[in-house]
Parts: sequence; C-alpha cells; structure tokens
Amino acid sequence: MTMQPNVGQLLRWRLALSEAEAPEAPTAASLLAIPRPWWELWPERFRDCVDRLSQIQVNHAFAMADPSRANPGGYLVPCVLENGAEQKEVHARILYFDVRKSQLRLRFALENPGEKAGDSLELTFVSEGAEHPLCAARAERSLDDEYHLEVELPGGIAAQWKHLKVTDRMPFRFILRPISGGE
Amino acid sequence: MTRFVWFWTFWHWSKEGFKQGALLRAPLHGVASHWDEWLRHEATERERALIEEAGAAEADQREFIRWLAKEWAPEAGYRANRVVVRFVLGQLAGVQPFARWRALEQFREGYGVGGISAVVLAEGSAGTPGDVRLIEALALPSDATGQTVVTEDFHIDAVDVEIPRRAAGEALRGRGLVAFLALWVGCGRRPYPVWLRGVLGAGWFGVAGLILYLTFGPDPGSRLAPFAAVLTSLALVLIAVGVTTAGVQIYQCWRGGGRLAETLEKSQLRLRMKGGLMVKGGSAGLAFCLSSMLAISRAAGRQTGSWLWDRFFRELRAKNGGWVATGVVTSAAQLKSVVLEPKLRACLAHPFVKHIIIPRQRPALAPGLALPSPAAKTHGVEPLSVAAPLTPSLRLGYASEQHYLQSHACRSVAAAMMVIGGFVSRWQMAVNVIAIASISALLFSAGDLASVLFPPRAPFAVAPASPSTASVWVSLDTRSPERFQVAMESSYWANRRTEVAAHRGDHPSVRAEIALQRLASPSSYDPVDATFWIERRNQFLGREFEAGERVGCYSLRYLRNLGYE
Repeated sequence: MTMQPNVGQLLRWRLALSEAEAPEAPTAASLLAIPRPWWELWPERFRDCVDRLSQIQVNHAFAMADPSRANPGGYLVPCVLENGAEQKEVHARILYFDVRKSQLRLRFALENPGEKAGDSLELTFVSEGAEHPLCAARAERSLDDEYHLEVELPGGIAAQWKHLKVTDRMPFRFILRPISGGE
Repeated sequence: MTRFVWFWTFWHWSKEGFKQGALLRAPLHGVASHWDEWLRHEATERERALIEEAGAAEADQREFIRWLAKEWAPEAGYRANRVVVRFVLGQLAGVQPFARWRALEQFREGYGVGGISAVVLAEGSAGTPGDVRLIEALALPSDATGQTVVTEDFHIDAVDVEIPRRAAGEALRGRGLVAFLALWVGCGRRPYPVWLRGVLGAGWFGVAGLILYLTFGPDPGSRLAPFAAVLTSLALVLIAVGVTTAGVQIYQCWRGGGRLAETLEKSQLRLRMKGGLMVKGGSAGLAFCLSSMLAISRAAGRQTGSWLWDRFFRELRAKNGGWVATGVVTSAAQLKSVVLEPKLRACLAHPFVKHIIIPRQRPALAPGLALPSPAAKTHGVEPLSVAAPLTPSLRLGYASEQHYLQSHACRSVAAAMMVIGGFVSRWQMAVNVIAIASISALLFSAGDLASVLFPPRAPFAVAPASPSTASVWVSLDTRSPERFQVAMESSYWANRRTEVAAHRGDHPSVRAEIALQRLASPSSYDPVDATFWIERRNQFLGREFEAGERVGCYSLRYLRNLGYE
C-alpha cells in the first residue's frame, strides 16, 4: 500500500474544512441593502429625525460692529444626534468649509459640552428647506470636540455651495449617527 | 531658516483660508485645528517628509522650538507677546506628528506659565488634595469671533468667566484700582530703601515727640521759636516726601493699569484647568480674575513702568503652587462668600499649599469643624477639631507636623492684591497713624505755630478809651487779638494780665478791659501810677506758654485820654 499523499483527496478535504468554517453566504436581500443609504432602509427613523430637526428653531439676530465680518462667530447648524432609539438635539459650529471641484472638506465642532458623540459619526446632510437628504459622509474626530470629513458632493450642490463662506448661514442641517468600531 | 519652511507654508495657508472665509478661527487661535486640516489634505509628500525629518531627533525638535520663538514669532507679528509661542507649542503638542515629539512633553502638561490655584471640588468630594487645581491663563490678541474668554480642558458657564474678566478690568483701571490705591496709601509698603524707610519713620516719631513735648513738656521759654521751626520744617519735609512718593506711585500705577486694561480689552483670555470638569458655581472666580491679570501682564510685557504693578506681578508669578484663591467675584471686583470647609480641608491635605485667600465672611469656619489629621488622610480616623473665629488672617495647622495653612480674608480683589503683593506693612501702618495724628495736631495748631514763627505786627493803642474810671480799656489796632494780651503793672492798683478780645456793643473795638482794684496796702499813692504792657501770647494745642515778647508800653494817663484830646 502506497503512503504517497493523494493531492486530489487532500485538496477536497481542505475545501470541505473551509466550507464548514465559513460564515453563511449573505442573502440576496442583504446584498441589495448594503449600498443603499440608511434613510432608504429605515425611512421611518429618517422621518422622525427630520421632524425633530424641523422643530429646532434658530432665530439669529445681530448687532453688527464690524461690517467686514457680519457674523464672525458663524452660524450654528442644528443637528439631531440619533443613537438607536434616543435622539438628542445638538448644534455644530462649522470651523472649516471648502468646496473644490465637487469635493467638500468640512470641519465642525459640537457645541454641547459633555455630549460624547463618539469617535466616528455618520453625518447626513439634510436640506434646510426641503428636508430631504442631500448626501452622507463619515466624520472622524480629530481634536477634542472637532470632527472632519471629506465628501464628494452631487454636481448641482457643489456648484451652489462653492461660494459659501464658513461664516455664512449653512443651507443644511445634520443628522448624526455614531458609528461603532465594527461597522 | 529654510529648514522649517513647511511651517511658513502652513501658516500662509491658514492666513489665506481665514481671509477667504474658509476658516472660522484666526490662524493663531485655531492653530491646532488648522494644522490638522493642513497636514491631512494640503501638505505635499515633500513637506511631510521634511516634517518627519524635523522631528526625527529630540535635538531637531528643540531646534524647531527655538526657531518658533526667535524667527517665527517676531516675523508673524508676535514679538511683544512672548506667551504666543507657548500657546502655539501647547496647541501643536496635541496633534500629529508633534504629539510624538518628546521635546514638547512639557507643553502637553500645560503652558508652563504658572499662576494661582483654585479649589474646585470634584462631585461628592469633601476636600482632597486633587481638588486644588492650577489655573493657567494666557492672553492672546483677540480674534474676529469676539470671544473674550476661552476655557480649555474644562467647561463652565460663560458668565462665570466673563465676570472675573470684568473684575480684572476693574482692578486694572476702575473702582478696584481706586480701592487698591486707597488701601496702599493707608497701609502699603513704600518703595523706599531700608535706610530711608528708617529715616522717614524716625522723622515722624520725632515730629510726634516734639508735639508731645510742646503739649505736655516743660515750658520751652525762649526756645519755643526754634522748636516750632524744627517741628514745622520737619513735618513739611516729611509730608512733601510722603505726598510726592504717593502721588508719583499713584500716577504711574494708574497709567500702567490703563495700559494693562487696554491690553485686556484687545485680548482673548484662555483659561486652562486640567481634569475636563464641568464647573458649576463661581467660587473659582477670584482665581480666574488673578490669573487673568497675570496673563495680561505677560502679554503686555514685563515692565509696566509702575513699582506697584511690577511688584504685584512679580509676587503673583512667584506664588505659583503655594497659593490658592477662592471666592465669588463680582464685576465691581468685590468678593462674596463661598463654602469654605471642604476647600480648607483640600488645602490642608495638599503638601505644597501654604496660603489661601478667602472672602471675609462670617463664620470663616463652622464652630467645631473637623479637619482631617495626617493620619485621617490614610486611615479615615482621628479628626482634628478646630473651632475658628473669624479673623482677617487665620492660621490653621495639624498638631502633629509642621504643615500649616495661612488664610487671608479679603473683601475685594484690591485687598487680595495687597496680600499677594506683600504690600501690607505694619511699620508703614504705624508710621501713617503717627503721621496722620501729627498732621492733625499741626493743622489744629497751625495758627499758633504761624504766630510763633511769623508774629503779627505789633499793635498800637487806639480809641476808644473806657468811659468809666473804674476800668481801663486798652484798644488795639490788630486783626489778631488772640495773639496779644495786656499786662498792667502798678504800685497803686492790683496788677492784672488780661486777654485781648473783640467787643461789640456801643463801643466796638478789639481791646483788653481791665478793672481797676486798689491794693490794700499800696506802695504808691499815685492813682495814675500804672503801666500797661502789650505782650505776645504763645500757645500750642490749647496750651498757654509764658508771656512772650513785650511789644508796647502805655501809661494809664495816655490810655484814659485816648479819643478825648
């Protein structure tokens, strides 16, 4: 009886072993869901957030001293921090706003001290008036309460936002969703 | 130096971004955030390599620090405010790649500017050494956002830092400064060398001694005029020295305070307190206020042109670590009461804290307050009971070791400035009390001294004469009747000495009225044998000295005939 290894048998054994340890193949429905934005997956949750956002009233009034910088502190952007079933109203101060070609570089700080929003946030831009989602991006914490992000804007929006200054009133609000490490 | 040209590239990107409205904060105020953004998205591969190269060795890192201080800061317009470099390094120390630099270790700990500590109790703390927290304050040029106070590493209601800032402004140029100057004039150390302080003190003691001698001592007789001259001239010299010194100091202090207040108005204060606390309440207000003043002095430069300010800030800088301040401060720079017991516990348990400035309040300590003994720190037993009444300066301590805590109760920021600056001088206070008493006495007796030193013109006898033969009127043409008296010498009539006074009525005049009374056994039988002498009166503080110079002599016949010739 020969002890020479049968390569074919060995490969089949290894294949069977791998198949046994491998996770189950995703279903077709879950594969379809992966590229879809969260507001399409959970429209009710998105609607709740938008309703909450629309309830945040920000009435600005200024006593201008220096006409060269009408609002040197910038405007606060109303945000809803959605953490599971819990929703909190917070405000973001835009620190850096730069649109080059269709690329937006944004930096903001959350104004509510003590609110720990997490190291990574999924940030959804919601239009100010129409209250529909514009785009979404992942924001990373860089300094204490500061987050930065870079996102490719849809063509029309990029053209509209190109001339915005950081001290201008922003035409969007944010829905913030903390991203856990595994996501 | 072209070695760090990458920092200039970053700096200009930051300036341009701010100018064009892409960046909210000014380049200096947002330096860490801007650097992070620039390094992530703007820096070229070549620049990244140069940055890595600059931080490769600790010596290179130190070279960068030196370059920032010597080259970048003056070029960027921060030559006058040297703490800007500390701020920039402190900010950059937390971002990559500087967060890995060993040379920036000290800047990660703090700005290294020192200051006075506050007692901020952690939630549920009954007073532990960890509750004593150093406040670091920096003053930067204000930015376009108009934010006057920025807190770092802690959160607090804006009003709880804005009010101490205003109080600092009041203490630099306002009611607080007026109160400080008033306290200093009253009991403050003067900028004299020791020998001059001794001479001036001895001078005032001499003045007081002369006043006492003239008031209660033996009659000086003919030496009265020299004594009066010495007393007056010595007092005038001492007053001139004191007033000139105080005036010059007040003027310089007011001017220096004004410049500092202007710097405060144009500055953004940054207060740093470690621990990431959410501070509730305003008991750290006094520490914020004093730290803010120190920050302003640093931003304005070392010398203020005022001995008072320079001494105060020098002492405040030296108080780093050993001094703690607690008290709610008002915008008028007054102090309000706070809860003291746990704060005193924290300070007593702290190994380095020796002095605490507290508001003057009643009671300073609850009767029977139990302060922990050194043993209690570790075992939680053996409390040391202290029942302390309110005193301006209270000394608490453990019985078993040398550790003590000196408390200084103050009503205002001005009083705290007096304590911190070491201006309170018992010697000066004593000298001032003596000086004020002496000046009061001299003012009260100014007329007497003037009469001795500059006697009024000798008067003549004038009409009217007495209409009665039972008395003699010696009317004098003088405006200072109280400086003269009339002495009658006679062998027939009883001798008299009468004061000159102003009389009204039918025959108004300034005169001495002398009633004639025959002697029981006269040596002469001539009723007109009488001589009237006009004498000067010498007085001091109500004391009548021996009769002075005789400046006129008249006979009874002459005086009776005046106005009837």
